[in-house]
Amino acid sequence: MPVAERPVLEVQHIEKVFGARGNVTRALSDVSFSIGRGEFVAIMGPSGSGKSTLLNCVSTIDNVTSGKVLVNGADVTSLKSEKLTRFRREQLGFIFQDSNLLDTLTARENIALPLTIARTPAREVLARVDAVAARLSIAETLDRYPYQLSGGQQQRVAAARALVTNPAIIMADEPTGALDSKNARLLLESLETLNERDLATVLMVTHDSFAASYTSRVLFIRDGRLFTELRRGDQSRRAFFDRIMEVVAMMGGEGADAL
Amino acid sequence: MLCKLAWGNVRRAGRDYLVYLLTLTLAVIMFYAFNTISVQIDYAGIGNEGLGSLLGTLIGGVTVFLALVMGFLMVYANNFIMKRRKKEFGLYLVLGMGRGQVARIMALETLIVSGAALVLGLVLGVGFSQLMVFFTAALFKTQIADFHFFFSMTAFAMTVTCLVATFLVTLVFNLRAVARAKIVDLMGAGRANEAIRTRNPWIAAAVFFVGAVLVGVSYARLLADGLPISGSSEAGGAFLITTVMVVVGTILLFFGLSGFLLRVLAFARSLYWRGLNMFTLRQLAAKVNTVSFSMAVITMVLFLAITSVTGGMSIVDAMNSGVEQSTPADFSLTAMYAGNRVSDEEARSGEGDWARVRVPYDIAANAVDESGAPLDLNEVAGSTVQLNSFAAVSEGSDTPIVSYSTLLAATGLSMPPGMEQANPVTMGLPFIRESEFNAYLAFRGLDPIDLGEDGYLIISDMGESVARVYHEMMSRDLPLTVGSRELSPVTSDLANEGVPLANAQPSNAGSLVVPDRVIDELGLPVDTSYLLVNYAPGVSSEEGDAFMEQLETDRWIDGEDGKHIVSLMVGTTKADVYESMNSMNGMVSYLAIYIGFVLVVACAAILAIQQLSGVSDAGASCRVLSELGTPRRQIMRSVLAQQAIFFMFPLAVGLAHSFVALRVVIDIVQLFGGVSIAGMAGFAVLIFVVAYGGYFLATYLMSKSIVRDAIRVRHAV
Repeated sequence: MPVAERPVLEVQHIEKVFGARGNVTRALSDVSFSIGRGEFVAIMGPSGSGKSTLLNCVSTIDNVTSGKVLVNGADVTSLKSEKLTRFRREQLGFIFQDSNLLDTLTARENIALPLTIARTPAREVLARVDAVAARLSIAETLDRYPYQLSGGQQQRVAAARALVTNPAIIMADEPTGALDSKNARLLLESLETLNERDLATVLMVTHDSFAASYTSRVLFIRDGRLFTELRRGDQSRRAFFDRIMEVVAMMGGEGADAL
Repeated sequence: MLCKLAWGNVRRAGRDYLVYLLTLTLAVIMFYAFNTISVQIDYAGIGNEGLGSLLGTLIGGVTVFLALVMGFLMVYANNFIMKRRKKEFGLYLVLGMGRGQVARIMALETLIVSGAALVLGLVLGVGFSQLMVFFTAALFKTQIADFHFFFSMTAFAMTVTCLVATFLVTLVFNLRAVARAKIVDLMGAGRANEAIRTRNPWIAAAVFFVGAVLVGVSYARLLADGLPISGSSEAGGAFLITTVMVVVGTILLFFGLSGFLLRVLAFARSLYWRGLNMFTLRQLAAKVNTVSFSMAVITMVLFLAITSVTGGMSIVDAMNSGVEQSTPADFSLTAMYAGNRVSDEEARSGEGDWARVRVPYDIAANAVDESGAPLDLNEVAGSTVQLNSFAAVSEGSDTPIVSYSTLLAATGLSMPPGMEQANPVTMGLPFIRESEFNAYLAFRGLDPIDLGEDGYLIISDMGESVARVYHEMMSRDLPLTVGSRELSPVTSDLANEGVPLANAQPSNAGSLVVPDRVIDELGLPVDTSYLLVNYAPGVSSEEGDAFMEQLETDRWIDGEDGKHIVSLMVGTTKADVYESMNSMNGMVSYLAIYIGFVLVVACAAILAIQQLSGVSDAGASCRVLSELGTPRRQIMRSVLAQQAIFFMFPLAVGLAHSFVALRVVIDIVQLFGGVSIAGMAGFAVLIFVVAYGGYFLATYLMSKSIVRDAIRVRHAV
């Protein structure tokens, strides 16, 4: 990773507080980290740890109580709704647990949507959809409707939709959560390829250690705080998986001790 | 416990129940307010006896029909609510509640909402009916003397009965829905990716095309054939075929609509792949596929509402506009001679009870009152004239000297539409003496005519479709053979004006004014006499009418040999004509507005419910769009475009149907006189637009808030 280059995403001391007057829940407290260009990062944590809140805050779907989120050096926490919408459209790509494809559109149209919303010329739209579909090997399913696709295909269409605008970061929220193991592996391999070959920056929230083992770095979060961080380095995926499992066990164990 | 749950549900699902409540309340208001009509008519002091109860009965009957429509509408609305709350009912079942209890919750909810609608509707309806009295009075052209509060038990009972019936129908459908539902389906509702019923766009486009052709052909057939008012079986059969064609065509039109739209826009690539256009279109296509049939039904109902209202009102309007023209005098009396009851055999032998005469009976000079004492009409009359028309058929013949077919042959025209089955040979034109006609013109303050040696003039007060042949005869200067003479038309403004012979409409289907000599030479018997009286200045119409009441009418007058020669009809005053006109006008307007309004509200409500359920189903899609970075304004524009198409397309097709049908209706109306689709019909259309547009607006605003909620709340992970 070239040190001189500025990180794509910088999260600086963000806090998120829910509720008001006496009934206050601190979902995130003083979380800071940064992600460089072309990194594949996972955020892990048990249920209720605040990992989804973190993703929502980073992706501007939710606002932070305090702290800053910088994308390519620009502070997005201070953006007003118009600019925020535009920022999301141009800088971020989303993949959700349930693929969130629009039922009434074909796969091709679903993928094209972010481009047409941004008023890209029709010729370019179709060319880019074909290109991204080829990369994710879903070219032959483009004219089908979501209900005609398998769960894995749906997720890959969703991934294509997230990628088609060439966003600064792809946000994936439990992308394998609703998939069987075979389809989950296919999707993760796709993301891995995208990351390695096209240098796409991916931030993935998951509670699945197997999914996390495909990434280059894992951030662990617990009770709204950053707990620890693991880097894969030159290790094999298998070895990385074992190390992730150890941390997960430790986090779970400590939690159990507290009982 | 169940009550509490149901009450909580209604409050929580308030928005879902809003359309339901709104529609039911509107229905109750309409049901009550319109059913108070008989009370209103008595109250407004509208003279015509029996009008109140006649109109009351009519409206009552219509209400039962409309209640039926409302019942089905409510079932539909309820399905919408059920669909949105499937998961909730599933939860009740999972928690161990029996189906009976769930059904009871639903019934209670429906009861609460129906009850609320009843109370709200009755309060507003009672208030509205107080205001409506003024409207009624205006419609029947009278004034309210003293205003006081009124309440109609009959209307109340009618309204409650209809609402209870509606409620029971809804209940039965609800219970069936609950009894059939599977828990797994209820719980899973809204989760699975919905399978889109797709049709091959090419086939759909072809279906659309076939539908369009069918509708087009049926339009052409209707315009060519007209309405089957002659009542013949072939005409009826042809009309039935046209009707079936337009119905099937309309259904196909909506069936193929989505495919057609997709095909057309696929050609406009840059338009399709731009903004949310493809989303809008795909949503429409998916929706149209599932609701095409109901949209076709809505179109036909709108068509029915628009046509019956504007058609009915324009007929009344036509009659109304003619009322001034069709009352030439303050009082008129028609006398029919016995001539056509006498056979030639009887005329020769002098047998039988009736006799023909060639000298008109002087009605005014022989006027008597009830006791038989002579009555001097000059006590009230300022001017009096008697106009006589002479038989179209000369003695010893059975074909008219000049008949409608003579004129058709001379001009080369064909029978007016709708009258093709009538026999024009038997439609003879009676004759009027020039001297008497000039006396009549002087009576009306018009300039006399001069027919010269051998001139003729055809006068009538029929509409253009009948009178056209008369106008053609005279404007083309076509000669007419009468007896041994050849007559030529003279130029007169009267040729193109309605010339009524008595206070009625129409009173003159076509008469030939000829020089006196011509009638004398032919030796024609008298056919009809018209006595016209205008009251002297200083005699009010009430005084004049009261005096004329004394005149003994409705009886046979006998000649010197004791045979009946002429029958005096009941006299008609100007006031009579106006009053019956106003009653007619008011009645038709009333029924038209009532039926039209309820039908339009029903259509608009169904569309509103469909759209709202569509929007709530599309909530997830809107959220996705928002997360992909679509500005909310753009999403709302897409929703607006979809809803506008859904509201406007059936309206546009319905209007097109109505437009064509009304053209034909106008042709028929023209038989009676001039026509304008303005006036009251314009007012009715305004009410429609307000109701329909109001629903559209309400739907959009509610959709807006549904979409806003859907976007704001991030789904729980």
